Amino acid sequence: MSTNTDTAELEALFDSIATGVARQEPPSPSGRQAPCQEGQVASIDGADPGNHRVFDRVGRLVRQLHDALKELGYDKLLEGTLQSIPDATDRLAYISKLTEQAACRVLNATDIAVPLQAALDADVVALGKDWERLMSGQMDVEEFKRLAHRTQGFFTGSAPERIGQTRAQLMEIMMAQDFQDLTGQVIRKLVMMAQDLEKGLLQVLLEIIPESVRNEEVNGLLNGPVIQTKDCVDVVVSQMQVDDLLDSLGF
Amino acid sequence: MTDSNMHFLVVDDFSTMRRILRNLLKEEGFANVSEAEDGRLALNRLQAGDIQFVVTDWNMPNMDGLELLQQIRATPKLRNLPVLIVTAEARKENIIAAAQAGADGYIVKPFTGATLHEKLSKIFSKREQRGDV
Repeated sequence: MSTNTDTAELEALFDSIATGVARQEPPSPSGRQAPCQEGQVASIDGADPGNHRVFDRVGRLVRQLHDALKELGYDKLLEGTLQSIPDATDRLAYISKLTEQAACRVLNATDIAVPLQAALDADVVALGKDWERLMSGQMDVEEFKRLAHRTQGFFTGSAPERIGQTRAQLMEIMMAQDFQDLTGQVIRKLVMMAQDLEKGLLQVLLEIIPESVRNEEVNGLLNGPVIQTKDCVDVVVSQMQVDDLLDSLGF
Repeated sequence: MTDSNMHFLVVDDFSTMRRILRNLLKEEGFANVSEAEDGRLALNRLQAGDIQFVVTDWNMPNMDGLELLQQIRATPKLRNLPVLIVTAEARKENIIAAAQAGADGYIVKPFTGATLHEKLSKIFSKREQRGDV
């Protein structure tokens, strides 16, 4: 599977980015990124240890942005996205196939096991009734002999056979669940891909936002969660909250 | 004959697969099974010294199955532990790497109970011949 290699390459790339950021200046900056890097490098030179972590993080972001831009390029962004979508589609189709197969295996197994159980049940009920007749003295010797043979046949033949067959179907149902491990791995990769894609797009977006609106936008993004939890005790922000408020007031 | 009380350690990051392996081992007559979520936790668990057989996945967070195997083989008191790898990694280089690291067996997912039975029997008979078990 070439996807594993891709992941390894991505991880290697990530590692090299993460370790290289604090130490070395990002190579060959284009004109667009140059001001950011100059600012960063200048700050690191004069940084005290307390600020180092912040600079390190900023450095990482700048490096990731730089690499993302270099790798994708504005013109190539669309191409990259288009390439990853068929891959994602294949993976989703694989998940769909495996889950469908598992569902079929389980339903087939129950289709086999349910009649086995029904037959066992019918035999048990019939034998039980005859044994009750015997115990209440309603059976002659010949009938009793036949019952004894039937009972022996049940215990040594049909019952263990059906029990064994049912057990095999239960194992089949259990084994059908092995799709979860395989689909789980694929889903993890899909989530990683989606996150990478989102990160890349966000970085490009932040890069191309004009300076005039950037502060407002970035602040808006950063302040989002705070508004929700802290600053909005008496401010409603969504229709749901409006409805909740109306509900609580009895309207 | 193999000891039905043999203590297995099943290592897989997916609980579904751990349960499946546990159930399959029970079918094989081995009810004494412990579990670990990844290689690192497995290695910690092995320090207790009561585990007699390791069945491990390959692709796991923190420490993968291959590294777990390498660590086991590099630890004097664990080095003779039988290790069976059960993984979706089906590439040749994976299988070769596992063999070179000293795996006793290699099963590719998805697999059947019959495959597990066969591999276990093979490992037991090989080890019996060598006088390891």
